[in-house]
Amino acid sequence: MSKKLIELRNVTKTYDDITVVDNISLYINENEFITLLGPSGCGKTTTLRMIGGFEKPDSGEIILNGVVVNELPPYERPINTVFQRYALFPHLNVFDNIAFGLKNQKVPKQEIAERVETALKLVSLPNFGARKVANLSGGQQQRIAIARAIVNRPKILLLDEPLAALDLKLRQNMQYELKEMQRKLGITFIYVTHDQEEALTMSDTIVVMRDGLIQQIGTPTGIYNEPRNRFVARFIGESNILEGTYVRQNVVSFMGVEFDCVDIGFADGEKVDVVIRPEDLDLIDPVGAKLVGVVSSSIFKGVHFELCVIVQEKEFVIHTYENKNVGQAVGLRVDSYEIHLMKVEN
Amino acid sequence: MNIKKLGKLVLPYLVWMSVLVGLPLLMMVVLTFLKSNALDLGTAEFSFDSWRILFSDVTVRIALKNSFVNGIIATIICFVIGYPIAYIVANSNFSNKLIILVLTIIPMWSNSLLRNNAIANILSERSIVNDVLSNIGLNFIWPIRGVVYESGFSPAVVIGLVLTYLPFMILPIYTVLEKIDKSLLEASMDLGSNKIKTFFKVTFPLSIKGVTTGIIMVFLPSFSGFAIPKILGSGSLVFIGTLIDSRFMNRNYNFGSLLSLVILLIIFGSMALIFKVDKEGETLI
Repeated sequence: MSKKLIELRNVTKTYDDITVVDNISLYINENEFITLLGPSGCGKTTTLRMIGGFEKPDSGEIILNGVVVNELPPYERPINTVFQRYALFPHLNVFDNIAFGLKNQKVPKQEIAERVETALKLVSLPNFGARKVANLSGGQQQRIAIARAIVNRPKILLLDEPLAALDLKLRQNMQYELKEMQRKLGITFIYVTHDQEEALTMSDTIVVMRDGLIQQIGTPTGIYNEPRNRFVARFIGESNILEGTYVRQNVVSFMGVEFDCVDIGFADGEKVDVVIRPEDLDLIDPVGAKLVGVVSSSIFKGVHFELCVIVQEKEFVIHTYENKNVGQAVGLRVDSYEIHLMKVEN
Repeated sequence: MNIKKLGKLVLPYLVWMSVLVGLPLLMMVVLTFLKSNALDLGTAEFSFDSWRILFSDVTVRIALKNSFVNGIIATIICFVIGYPIAYIVANSNFSNKLIILVLTIIPMWSNSLLRNNAIANILSERSIVNDVLSNIGLNFIWPIRGVVYESGFSPAVVIGLVLTYLPFMILPIYTVLEKIDKSLLEASMDLGSNKIKTFFKVTFPLSIKGVTTGIIMVFLPSFSGFAIPKILGSGSLVFIGTLIDSRFMNRNYNFGSLLSLVILLIIFGSMALIFKVDKEGETLI
C-alpha cells in the first residue's frame, strides 16, 4: 500500500480579493505521478507554488510527511521544481547549473562530479557539462532543468508546464521520457498542465481544476470514462453532451428515445446530462435505427474520419474508420455501457 | 551598417566630426611635438620637451596619483551607496519605480558647478553647519574643506564627486537588476540557497555588467574632471584635470595637449573594457 506523502487540507489562497485556490483538499502518495489539469487561471500553478513554498496559503495546511510545512521556506523543503521557462542560471555553465543544489548541500566535489554526470546521462545529454546554457536548444535546456532538479534526489519533483515551449514531436518524446524517469527514480511527480493529452499519457492520478476548485480526482481512464460533470467531460477529450431523463433503473431517455444504460444512482425521472464519446457512436443502416441523421461534414484525421451528423437539429461528432458522404443519411447506435450519465449542475 | 550604403546621408556627419573632433585631435597630437607660444605656429619649433616632462616631472605623477586616489575612493563610495539603492528600488513594490530614479537625477538638472560651489560653502569655515557644530563643541570635525591626507585623499573633493556622479552608478545597476528574471531567484531558493546565498550566487553575478558600467561611468569623470577638484580641493592639491587646466591657462598648449591625450587613452582603454564585458551595451540605457 502506498504511503501518503503530502497532503493539502482546506487550502485557500487569495490575491487582491480574487480567490485563486478555494478550499482545496488533496493528498498525494509516494511514487505517484499526479497531474493538476485545468485551463489557465484555474489555480493549478498557484497550488504547485504553495507546495514548493513560493507562496503561503491564506488558510489551510500543507502537510509533508505528517508535518505542517506552511512556514517552511523553499530552501528547506525536500522538493525541487522544474520551472516553466526552465530558469537556468545564465552566468553558469551546464555543469554548475546542475551542481548548484549539491554545492548548497556541501556534497564532496568528487561525488558532485559523479552525480552530475549521472544526471546528464539520465536526460540523454552526456558530456554537456562544459556547454554554455545560452547555446542550448529549448529541448536541451528543458532536459538540463530536469537534471538540475532530480540530481538533488528530492522526495517530490514539481513540474510547471515544463513541455509547453517545445514543439509537438519533442513534447511527445519528453512525455514518455518523463514517465520513464519517474518510474526509474521512484520520485513523486506533481505535474501542472493545461494539455489534457499530456495528462492522460503520463499520470497515475489526474486532478481536474477549475476556478480554484477541484472538479474531479481520478485515474486517467476513470476521468475519461466517468467524467463527473459537463466541464470535465468537455475538458478531457471530445464528447457529445445531451440533456436526458433517467426514466427508471437502467433506462435513460434522450433525443426522444429510450436507451438501456448501466449507470445507477439517479432517481426515476431525474434530469441528467448524457455523455457519449465520439468513438463510441457506431454508424448503422438508417432503417430501424433509434437515431437517424444526415452527415453534414467529414474531415480526414489520419487514423479516423471525424463526421458531423445532424440528428433532430443537434450536432453529433463521430469518429469512424469508414467515410460517409456529406448529405448521406445514417443511423447511430451506442452500446449501453458507453452511455455515461452525470448529475445536472445548477 | 556600412558607410557606402548610407551614401550621402552620412556626409554632413563626417564633415562635422572631422572638423570638430578629428582636426582638433590631430592638432593636439602635432602640438605635443612642438614648442610654441599657445597657438602661435609662426614661432613654433619642433621639440620633444613635452614628452620629456611627461616622464620626468614629478608633478605629473603626483597629479595622476591624486586623481586616481580620489577617483577610486569616490567610485567605491558610490558603489557602496548606489548598489543598495538600486537593489531596493528594483525590488520594491512601488508602482512607479521610475519616479524614484528620477528623484536621483533631479539634482543633475541644476548646474554641477553651482552645486559644487554650494557644497564648498557648506564645507567651509563660515557655514551654518560649522557654526552649529562649533557651538555645541564639535568643532574638531568641521570644516573639512581644507583637510588633505598624505595619500592625496581629499574628503571635500570626494564628497563633491560622490554627490555629482552617484546617479551614474545607480542607473546602470538598477537597469540590470530590474531585468533579472525573478524565477531565477526562485530556482536558487528551490535548490537550497537562502536569501543571502541567493544574492551572492545569483543576483550579484548577474548584475556584474551594470556594476562594471557604473564603476567606469563614475571613475572616468572623477579621474579626469577638473572643476570639482578646483572648486573643492585645497589649493595645494594638484589633479590631472587641474594640471591640464593650468597648462592651457599658462599658454603651454604643448604640454596641455599631451596630458589630454594621456587621459583620452585611459578613457579609450576603459571604454574597450566596458564593451568587452557588456557587448550589447544593454546597461548603458
